Amino acid sequence: MAKPYYEFFSPVKVIAGHKALEHIPFELKTLGCSRPMIVTDKGVRGAGLIDHVAGAFDSTSIDVAIIFDDVPPDSSLETVRKAAEVYRGNNCDAIIAVGGGSVIDTSKGTNILVSEGGDDLKAYSGAHILKRRLKPFYVIPTTSGTGSETTLVAVVSDLEKNVKLPFMSQFLMPDAAILDSRMTLTLPSHITAMTAMDALTHAVEAYTCLAANPLSDAYAYSAVKKISENLMTVMEDPKDADARLELAQASTMAGIAFSNSMVGLVHSLGHALGAVCHLPHGLCMSLFLPYVLEYNRDINGDKVGELLLPLAGSELYATTPKEQRAAKAIAFIRELRDKLYNSCQLPRTLKETGKVSVGQIEQVAQLAIDDGSIIYNPNESDFDELVDILKRAWE
Amino acid sequence: MMAVVGRALVATSRSDDEVRKELSILPSGYTMQMLVPSGPGFMVKVEEQGHLTLVSDRTQKPDLSITFKHLSFAFLVFSFQESTARSFANDRMVLDGEVSHAIRLVRCLNKMEAIILPRFVARLAVKRYPRISLGEKVSKAARVYGLVAKHLVLGR
Repeated sequence: MAKPYYEFFSPVKVIAGHKALEHIPFELKTLGCSRPMIVTDKGVRGAGLIDHVAGAFDSTSIDVAIIFDDVPPDSSLETVRKAAEVYRGNNCDAIIAVGGGSVIDTSKGTNILVSEGGDDLKAYSGAHILKRRLKPFYVIPTTSGTGSETTLVAVVSDLEKNVKLPFMSQFLMPDAAILDSRMTLTLPSHITAMTAMDALTHAVEAYTCLAANPLSDAYAYSAVKKISENLMTVMEDPKDADARLELAQASTMAGIAFSNSMVGLVHSLGHALGAVCHLPHGLCMSLFLPYVLEYNRDINGDKVGELLLPLAGSELYATTPKEQRAAKAIAFIRELRDKLYNSCQLPRTLKETGKVSVGQIEQVAQLAIDDGSIIYNPNESDFDELVDILKRAWE
Repeated sequence: MMAVVGRALVATSRSDDEVRKELSILPSGYTMQMLVPSGPGFMVKVEEQGHLTLVSDRTQKPDLSITFKHLSFAFLVFSFQESTARSFANDRMVLDGEVSHAIRLVRCLNKMEAIILPRFVARLAVKRYPRISLGEKVSKAARVYGLVAKHLVLGR
């Protein structure tokens, strides 16, 4: 059936390759910048990844003005204020975020303050508050999962009031996302697995939920194929730069897909489980993906079935009757989780995490039913159904 | 049309336990608005035990606001041609406020539509028609229609 209406917006330039970092000085010059500030965290810096970025400026007319590496695991108003102060104190004219979700969100918040002026980030919280372009902004992801380099959202915590402030504006999107295989080459295998399952979930939910559209479908479909073809290659040979680059691209493509067609119940349950049990987001996605696909199958089994081709390849797809393709696609994802368990002990069930108790199931269900992403899920869910899915995911 | 929907929502909060339960989580005095820019809309306030009342003075900023980008999009939803969830998915609305509260409001609208509309119409307006017996539907719908009519005729 033709989609009666949709919107698609993806203005982020993607610079991808084995020597992608070396293109940054040129990109900065084209926007008239000469004093970029790098925003990162101590883990990324300690792993030596900033050396690759700084090295890209050798023998160029641009110097990195300052490196701000004080970003905590959860971004906060205070961190953003500090970063803005450092930016102003060093007369910077662009921001380069090097890291994962927290670093990217901190950088987006910092860009609001240094572009709009002042120190009150809260004044810009909400949807579509910003009315003009911000300072030049570049993102270099160091994991292949979040897709934050292509999204228009940032979340920053107000630690005083213990609330998370959302910011949503097209002006928060970076000018470019730089995907370089060197930035994920040393990522530990369990983090590689979790973040890849995060990207796979972004792609699968973008493709199968209510806001899917033809353009986001194209990105999601290709992202699923790249993850399916390259994840186990990377798990077996972490230094395979080509496969690493494929995963990085898949993550960005999945990010473009879900930032335009949103996500569904896997994320509702994952957000809730993360909040209650403090498990990593990617792991939560991996835990729930097959169970939610099974739950939704009566409504969107045709679209889940289409994913058998990018997941398992043409031979299995062609020999599987149409009505069995959704079940085979879900079975393929279960097998992938088994392989990841064997490879790096990535838990497949809530019980295997060792950090969830049966007594927490109802609390997770209660939080999940109010999660924003649930509205995009094709199936209407009630509390009892969510409890049932959580019990299925238990062991 | 939106004013009638607002009144029907208020009436549903006085007729349906499930809707009252959804709303009773929200703080007393919490205000929610659905509107079209420079056009029609309604604002409701949460009272004790999840009852809603209409707010006639809409000059105050509500705690939660859902704005349709165009009048015709509101018509699609409130003439029950497009579900509220589908309208969200089609980017026809802008949300300002706590997302989890908006999700609750949508569930209340869904239940209201399931109660007051014939089943074959309500199925277009919601993702899944809820489990509701004919007797329950008729008695609650009669009460909602009665309260809306009373409000329209007597203004209270």
